[in-house]
Amino acid sequence: MSRLGNNADWADDEEFDDPSALPAQQVITNKDGTKTVISYRFNDENKKVKVTRRIKTTVVREHVNPQVAERRSWAKFGLEKGNPAGPSFDTTSVGENIVFRPSTNWKVQAKEAEKEGEKGSVKDQLKDKKVKCRICSGEHFTARCPFKDTMAPVEESTSGAGAEMDEDKAGGLGAGSSSYVPPHLRKGGAAGGEKMGGRFEKDDLATLRVTNVSELAEEQELRDLFERFGRVTRVFLARDRETQRAKGFAFISYADRGDAANACAKLDGFGYRHLILRVEFAKRST
Amino acid sequence: MRPILLSGHERSLNQIRFNKDGDLLFSVSKDKNVCAWWTANGERLGTYAGHQGAIWTVDVSPNTVILATGSADNTVRLWNIKTGECVKVWDFPTAVKRVAFSPDGSKLLAVTEKRMGFLGTIAVLDIAYGDGQGNNLDSQADEPSLRITCTESKATVAGWSFLGKYIIAGHEDGSVSQYDPKTGDQLENVQAHEFDHQINDIQFSADRTHFITASKDKSAKLMSARELAILKTYTADTPLNSASITAKKDYVILGGGQAAMDVTTTSARQGKFEARFYHKIFEDEIGRVRGHFGPLNTIDVHPAGTAYASGGEDGYVRIHHFDKGYFDFMYEVEREQLRK
Repeated sequence: MSRLGNNADWADDEEFDDPSALPAQQVITNKDGTKTVISYRFNDENKKVKVTRRIKTTVVREHVNPQVAERRSWAKFGLEKGNPAGPSFDTTSVGENIVFRPSTNWKVQAKEAEKEGEKGSVKDQLKDKKVKCRICSGEHFTARCPFKDTMAPVEESTSGAGAEMDEDKAGGLGAGSSSYVPPHLRKGGAAGGEKMGGRFEKDDLATLRVTNVSELAEEQELRDLFERFGRVTRVFLARDRETQRAKGFAFISYADRGDAANACAKLDGFGYRHLILRVEFAKRST
Repeated sequence: MRPILLSGHERSLNQIRFNKDGDLLFSVSKDKNVCAWWTANGERLGTYAGHQGAIWTVDVSPNTVILATGSADNTVRLWNIKTGECVKVWDFPTAVKRVAFSPDGSKLLAVTEKRMGFLGTIAVLDIAYGDGQGNNLDSQADEPSLRITCTESKATVAGWSFLGKYIIAGHEDGSVSQYDPKTGDQLENVQAHEFDHQINDIQFSADRTHFITASKDKSAKLMSARELAILKTYTADTPLNSASITAKKDYVILGGGQAAMDVTTTSARQGKFEARFYHKIFEDEIGRVRGHFGPLNTIDVHPAGTAYASGGEDGYVRIHHFDKGYFDFMYEVEREQLRK
């Protein structure tokens, strides 16, 4: 077995020479100009620890008093005698960042910061949720909607709560959503279930919602306007109960969905009594 | 700002001092070592060993050649800052609570404790700087050139006014007095703080025309050095151990906290272990910096006003380099003044 003879005895392997010896410090220069310094030391429990430090060197030029410059070259003494340049781990460390902004009303600010810290958990929970308006689907609360007065979300669930978070309606009862979802709308409303034969049930697909209607509008006027595009089966103009004035929105049902689509395309943005109509397909009412 | 934590001491800090250029920081504590630190990065330059007891006080000569320390082992020692050697030891009958160099560095005052039948004194020592190259620093006079004895109430802290014209001392009974450093006569005595509330610190402005005192009566006062008039009062909600006037911005920094013996009975939040920043002119509190786990025993401000350091009962020194928000803060009136 000449093969064995070529190899050095395993006992001579230099790794076993001195288990207490530390490998030499390695310095690698990276492409981006930083240096990686790998050094080894023993920690408090006498275990070998590998310390990898990535160092970026920035040269800061500073003009100092010559005495100060002379002091920079001083050698260490006392307990630090013989230690290499640079702060040592056991005496110097860097604390956590402190935000210090002087202000005359710092007490109020500190209190607010404290309160926010308490609220933090709830805030984190809602971090990924987006606010969605029920009227115009914009990113604001329904109560703050600029179309609040002109467009009423009647076909939607009127829970009364002004603010509602956008949530998937797929979940049934509970399932993390706070608002109640009626049985026939659960599972995306696809579930069959028996339906009550509502009077306008079959018209749902051909019903337009018209918003930004003038207060002075009349049902007949709207009928004349929308009749141009096909046979209108129903015109509903919402009125205020007391003043009998129009509330600003109306529903127009067509016999044919094609006519409805045509009317929607043509009359959306149509000027009517100084206001610009907004016409869209009505959503399924609940 | 990210504070630099210096953990070179094993016991609570007693005093920290920046040198005049602000590149070095010296700290003394109840353990027997004096530490010298580079303020820029917190690196320890070295330690000065030799004292046999707790070190109460430290001061650095204006030219950063000699360091003076006063200790509970009844000595004042002078050190060669560069080499760490002890160059002179003066023995006193009692512990030395405060040392301070005169503005020109030619004199050193040492406040001694009243104990064992000895009255509290303020001793003035002449300091020689050898050949100016840091050699022969050990040729110092053996005896104090002047001894002021405090017969009424012992002095706890003292310092030099502008041009070394007066010695200003704070007393145990809350009064501040002014002495003539040539004759040792007491020129004036003002009951600045509440009676029997000890003055724990006295620090001067850059030009030494006024100074700030910190007292156990939970207030700090800004006083003029010439007539000892109380210019401003800063009230805190805790006994104060230290107060300092910042350069560059018109602030003062106060440090304190309840007595060390009561610390363990309360939470850190209630302990009020924060550095309090007040506006020097308007006397408003404008912010706090927390971080220490115990009362702040000593505060010093970088002579250029770019940083401050605090030493606490917890044994840590924290160096804070101020960032932009600190320098930008201005009152509305200050901004208007600037516009004109």
